[in-house]
Amino acid sequence: MSQNLSPEFREAAQYLTNATSLSGVSNATKLELYGLYKFLTVSPSPNTSRPSLFDFTGRAKWDAWDNACKTYGESNNRAEARYLEIARSLGWTPSEASEQLLNRQQDGPETLWDEELGLELERETQGGGGMGNAVSVMTGSETENRSTLGGFAISGDVAGLKNFIRTHTSTNLNELNEDGYTPLHLACDRGNLAIVHLLLSEGADKEVKDADDMTPVELARFAGHQEIVQLLES
Amino acid sequence: MSAIQKSKEKETAEPVEQQPEDDVQDSSGSDDSGSEAELPLTATLPEASTAPTASKKKKKKRSKAAKALTALRGHKDGIPQELVNVVLEKVREQGGQAAAEANEQTIRLALEQMKIKDVIQGKAGIGGKGKKDMGDHKFWGAQPVPQPGEGPPLGDGYIEASKPSEEVRQDPYPLPKDFEWSVLDLNDAAQLRELYELLCANYVEDDNASFRFQYSAEFLSWALKPPGYHQEWHVGVRVASNKKLVAFISAIPITIRVRDHLFHASEVNFLCVHKKLRSKRLAPVLIKEITRQCHLKGIFQALYTAGLLLPTPVSTTQYYHRCINIPKLVAVKFFPIPASMTVARLARLYKVPERPHLLDSGLREMEERDVSQVGELFARYMRRFGMVPVFSLDEVRHHFLSGMGEGPRDKDSWKSPREGQVVFTYVVENPQTHKITDFFSFYSLPSTIMNSDKHSLLNAAYLYYYATDAAFEEGADEKDLLKKRLEELLGDAVIIASASGFDVLNGLTLMDNVLFMKDLKFGTGDGVLNYYLYNWRTAPLAGMSPIDDVPAGRGVGVVML
Repeated sequence: MSQNLSPEFREAAQYLTNATSLSGVSNATKLELYGLYKFLTVSPSPNTSRPSLFDFTGRAKWDAWDNACKTYGESNNRAEARYLEIARSLGWTPSEASEQLLNRQQDGPETLWDEELGLELERETQGGGGMGNAVSVMTGSETENRSTLGGFAISGDVAGLKNFIRTHTSTNLNELNEDGYTPLHLACDRGNLAIVHLLLSEGADKEVKDADDMTPVELARFAGHQEIVQLLES
Repeated sequence: MSAIQKSKEKETAEPVEQQPEDDVQDSSGSDDSGSEAELPLTATLPEASTAPTASKKKKKKRSKAAKALTALRGHKDGIPQELVNVVLEKVREQGGQAAAEANEQTIRLALEQMKIKDVIQGKAGIGGKGKKDMGDHKFWGAQPVPQPGEGPPLGDGYIEASKPSEEVRQDPYPLPKDFEWSVLDLNDAAQLRELYELLCANYVEDDNASFRFQYSAEFLSWALKPPGYHQEWHVGVRVASNKKLVAFISAIPITIRVRDHLFHASEVNFLCVHKKLRSKRLAPVLIKEITRQCHLKGIFQALYTAGLLLPTPVSTTQYYHRCINIPKLVAVKFFPIPASMTVARLARLYKVPERPHLLDSGLREMEERDVSQVGELFARYMRRFGMVPVFSLDEVRHHFLSGMGEGPRDKDSWKSPREGQVVFTYVVENPQTHKITDFFSFYSLPSTIMNSDKHSLLNAAYLYYYATDAAFEEGADEKDLLKKRLEELLGDAVIIASASGFDVLNGLTLMDNVLFMKDLKFGTGDGVLNYYLYNWRTAPLAGMSPIDDVPAGRGVGVVML
């Protein structure tokens, strides 16, 4: 099992995971590598039944694994030697592999020991799943026009807003837009602290009321943005 | 007509028709998901069933179809113009209200909501991202379910005859090594807890992995132990070495009427496989095993639902949401706030009255003495829908009364939920005649919030069953009598849900929900729920869209938990 694998094998396997040279090799070699890998990391012989005739790939892989078992029997050492031999022929050297290992920490072997389940598992990440009821959320509204003061305030685009203010020098930051808000109202409502900072430094009025008669700090409080409330009240 | 249009027209039905043949041919298994990705085209389109099915010998067409699809993938939502055209044409042919509302945009929206986009783009298997295990069409192709493209049934009935008991397989299906079967005893608090924890960490999530169902232990106990339940239908899978519960499937007995046929069936629910074991192909084995367990009890039909698209829905319903706690729903990104709104303005629009309106005209919590009247009203009301459960009085008592939690039941009960309360049932008793004229219910099903620092639980309520005698009056529909009564009744459900601290009340396009959801400010959800019948054929039932002269919703009268 994987605990007994040599560092060289791990490195070689690591190397082959990312090796570009692998794309040029024949399927026969790839299958041999696969068979050896499974033989060494999972079990000497395949632990599933042979895939059906229609599952070409699955069946070929299964056969390769089975073949490794027939060739090497109980000898992990001989199988590993053969694996390393192929790896070297594809450009692997131990030092190079070590380097790659440092660069590619996120890639690992095909299977991992899982503490939680007490099982050897294939690497995979998947979301929640099941069959029964379905989880749903509200569908989104139409996308807003972002290249307006309000748009920047909503999206939290500090750079965009700065640039807009620089290039539109006559802009009145305290003017209500067609929906009845200043950019400060919207930034406070959406919780975009950096935008609030910027607008205040540009001289935006904290006391102006929106179409619903609410001030920026009231909107921030209602929406639950405490940092902004504190900033505005300081 | 332009050349492009012509070439589109020529290819139109092909990707739809020929998928089933591809499926039979292509069984290359786990390394090729391409064909799988295209199958649901037929499954999603009830309209496609009118397409010719005689083209059975079209083999080798797959690459051509794939090419056609690729060529058509122009639009930014990834839904081929082709498909939109086909659907649009079919909808217009059928006429009626749907046709009036149908345009390219609404069709695109509907298709997008039906998750067809990811399927076409190859991001998803038959049932969405990473759900190949459950949606494996090779598996479903061998099950007694209506297959894609087989066309509308000539009559209603079973697909596969019931087996005499001696022909039912006696041994459990083999599991992959390292795993073993385990029938759960949900009367044992420890095992109930194990099930709760499995589902809590691994069950259904929304598309963005932001919310995951968190069924409470009380809920599971209520949902899985109705009258006449079988413990053998609570099927678990454990790791052999350490006995950890890693997968589950369940069924409960129901009596169901589908159009004119009444039969015993099982309601299959809570199929869940541990996140780390999705490649072990446990789901098909679980489904086969629960089927075997049902067969052993002489049950050969089943009802189940899923957000996933499988062969072949008998109806597709859509979620709607009555948002209540606006600041929280916006903060956890359940409710995307429109650019023209602030949270404060939105909250004012969705403000819920404090006191139920019908309290002064007989609204109160359901009690034991109401069971027979509620049962009678319910049975009569449900006759109006195509597919419904038929409840005994014991079942009425169980579904509407038994999950009402621990604590006093008095006139102020509506103001807050009781300890462990999972179902909320209210009746309206006529003060003069003391007759029960209406009832409604909803259940509590929270979701874990996965992407927020501030909030960890979404308190969601779901509309359950209801009935009103307004449906039996002359002109119930024509004079909007039913619609008005349901708005009063379910309007109070919103108020009680709000008073009880729920963040949102959810409903599907089934029963009469379409009549009142819009006016009660339910907004469109991104989730759909597909209804499936196992080993039973019937024509599609009206869910999110009307079918023939049946208005939207009224085909389906089964609410799943």
